[in-house]
Amino acid sequence: MTNRDPMKDQVAIVGLGSTGFTRDGDESPLAMALRAATEAITDAGLTAADIDGVVATSEPAAKGPEEIAAALGITEATHHTKPSPVAMFSLLDAARAVFSGAADNVLVVTPVVMGPWNSRRAAADPWRAGTRSSILPIPEDATKAAAYAAWASRYIHEYGATKDPFARIAINSRTNAAANPLAAMTEPLSFGMYDAGRMIRDPLNIYDMDLPVDGADAFVLTTAERGRAIAAAQGREPVVIHAATTGIVGKNDEDQLVGLERTGQHVVVDQLRRTSDIWIDDVDLFYPYEGFTIITLAWFENVGFCPPGGAEDFLREHWNDDAQRIEINGRVLVNTHGGSLSEGATRGTGHIREAVHQLRGTAGDRQVADVQSALVTPGGFFFNPQGAILRRG
Amino acid sequence: MPAGFEDDTALDDTALDDTALIAAFGGHGIDRDSAAHFRGRLERRLLVHRCDDCGHWHHPPRPMCPACWSWNITPTEVSGRGRIHLLMTLHQGPPAAGVDYADGHPVVTVELAEQPALRFTSTVTADFPADRLEIGTPVTLQWVDRDGTPTPVFGLQEDR
Repeated sequence: MTNRDPMKDQVAIVGLGSTGFTRDGDESPLAMALRAATEAITDAGLTAADIDGVVATSEPAAKGPEEIAAALGITEATHHTKPSPVAMFSLLDAARAVFSGAADNVLVVTPVVMGPWNSRRAAADPWRAGTRSSILPIPEDATKAAAYAAWASRYIHEYGATKDPFARIAINSRTNAAANPLAAMTEPLSFGMYDAGRMIRDPLNIYDMDLPVDGADAFVLTTAERGRAIAAAQGREPVVIHAATTGIVGKNDEDQLVGLERTGQHVVVDQLRRTSDIWIDDVDLFYPYEGFTIITLAWFENVGFCPPGGAEDFLREHWNDDAQRIEINGRVLVNTHGGSLSEGATRGTGHIREAVHQLRGTAGDRQVADVQSALVTPGGFFFNPQGAILRRG
Repeated sequence: MPAGFEDDTALDDTALDDTALIAAFGGHGIDRDSAAHFRGRLERRLLVHRCDDCGHWHHPPRPMCPACWSWNITPTEVSGRGRIHLLMTLHQGPPAAGVDYADGHPVVTVELAEQPALRFTSTVTADFPADRLEIGTPVTLQWVDRDGTPTPVFGLQEDR
């Protein structure tokens, strides 16, 4: 493991585009991708002719970078890839392309699409019938996302935890989503509603699981130098990637993971701490992933806000009862956009988009004053933990 | 015994060719590396890959030992004894014979006695006592049929 990070502060995020997220989508994945992409390129003050890198994702139903480049009329691109869906795979790939000189201005496009396997409405939509399915073919399959419920019961068993901290994660997200016009679910969520939530995979209920949605996010990355020039022209603060990494441990099959005491999240945290100049005492905002609420509890513990098993006490102590949200030391807000549980299951792109908006001062009614840095930790336990520190630069 | 699960029927010892084996276990994502494991199921033997050189077990089945990089791997029958390590109860999921989500369908990941963190995921027997369905409970392998295919499940390992 390395302490080297020649890429530190050298790549800027200069363009953001988003369709917003909905449970009632009727656009094709390509249409959503193009709406987000054109918005992001325009937001960066660029045109198709400036884009020479395209990063798509391998999301089911998503189009590849070739089709997206063709549809956007991009003239020539020297970098085009299709990483796994969770956000940092794409952002890091784009950043490394910029830093290496493989491309100057890289577009990242990440549509999410409800599949017939995770939405009744989508199952009734003939246009989605051919979507590649990730449905679990047998019930006793711990692969893919199913195992989070099993590890949640293990966590409860090991630490004597209650569902209270799980509820706080879900309610925090819903509270914050209310101020986010892109969010799919904005009605307030109470502790009583959480407790009455329909059980899906006991011990996790419907409020513990992210929200299948339609929508797309897009980003444009370029060098920090160009990013500062673009930001100056726009009267915004520039935003750079200060540190970023992905991480896994060797045994990461969902049911074979040795234990919660050493997962890819720990690898991510160790690497961020080696390469970053700032850490949790310094950051102004925290964006832990909550594809499942158990993931979020682990992120709180693993980045060091509290010890293993300590999330229950920590969240209770740092809960603003009037606002119905988490405020760490009354200062650090968590998932200000509503996260995967309420904005929608964007696989972490929403967490990054929101952090960038907050850092550059374009978060609208949600804007937190004088944000200098944000810790963003997408991904779960098994094969996609990842993290980044973004800051003004 | 729920519908779709039958008591042990007479063993069909006709060896399946590859095409038939793939068809029989299509839902499991069977491949060349796991074929021996699934052939073992047809004989009601739970086979787990074990390294002939260093003795390390691994699951799911892969062609090389992750501990010493030996390719001398033998699918080896395990005792079937272990303890519940992970537990969840499904209230919705893919349709399957004998599975009623309305009552909640338990899924257990059992830490096998052979090696720490060597685990196998399945469900429990229909008569598994609800008050023992918890992390830490000792269990032992049993076989039931699901749509005519031998299926490994776990029963309570009685304290003796």
